[in-house]
Amino acid sequence: MSFMEFVLAAIGIASAVGVVGFRNPLSSAFSLILHLLAIAGLYALLGAHFLAVSQVVVYAGAIMVLVLFVLMLLNLKSESGRRIGIVRSALTVGIGLVIFLSISAPMLAQFADLPQATLEQNMKASEGGVKAIGELLYSQYMVQFELSSLVLLVGVVGAVMLAKRKNVQLMPREGGMGGVK
Amino acid sequence: MDPITSYLGIACLLFTIGGIGLCLRRNAIVLFMCVEMMLNAVNLAFVAFSKIHGNLDGQVAVFFVMVIAAAESAIGLAIILSVFRSVASIETTDAAELKW
Repeated sequence: MSFMEFVLAAIGIASAVGVVGFRNPLSSAFSLILHLLAIAGLYALLGAHFLAVSQVVVYAGAIMVLVLFVLMLLNLKSESGRRIGIVRSALTVGIGLVIFLSISAPMLAQFADLPQATLEQNMKASEGGVKAIGELLYSQYMVQFELSSLVLLVGVVGAVMLAKRKNVQLMPREGGMGGVK
Repeated sequence: MDPITSYLGIACLLFTIGGIGLCLRRNAIVLFMCVEMMLNAVNLAFVAFSKIHGNLDGQVAVFFVMVIAAAESAIGLAIILSVFRSVASIETTDAAELKW
């Protein structure tokens, strides 16, 4: 593992712990931005250049701006008073450790004895520039690509519908449907 | 250990951290961010697999996961906003009644 990979992985893991650990949601959000940028760096080191750029633009840019916007809009105080019990967090971390082992052990065992020569060859074949990804998207994955645009359209329409809805009536009305006006 | 398999280890670790956050936290937006983090861990594993097998299908899968995540964030934040309008809080423990 090169020095750069090590640094980026360490930043990624530390900021991931920060997202979970900070009590103020705003600090969590900024920690997540750092995390996404570190992962984008790892993509670039793996040769996935197109994904590295779109990670920065889509995730660290657009999605996180949306999250920060909502956080500012809601004007929250950081979680007050109620601390998480030590037993509960220890239990959760224990269960997490079990999950981690049960995912990673088979995965690492599967790829432990890869023949080094074919691996070197494969690594050269999977350089994910814009041209290579684009050619694949517009030929083999054409239908899925069009469907994903449909998903985005439905997402936008759904978000507008949810945002425009009037407040839900709290008490049921007499003889009527109640609910949404 | 081969450098490429250490990427898989990192991805597993990040996925687990996201899952632990999902269990521990109560703020809906922080839960949302933990889900994004888990999606990212899977994306990292996808890119490593694409590197191991020497074709670009894994990277195309990551592209589609990003599209879904963008749509999901728009819908999810709209839902969080409308929950905030009804119960004036985004703590999941305050919105646990399933009826109003």
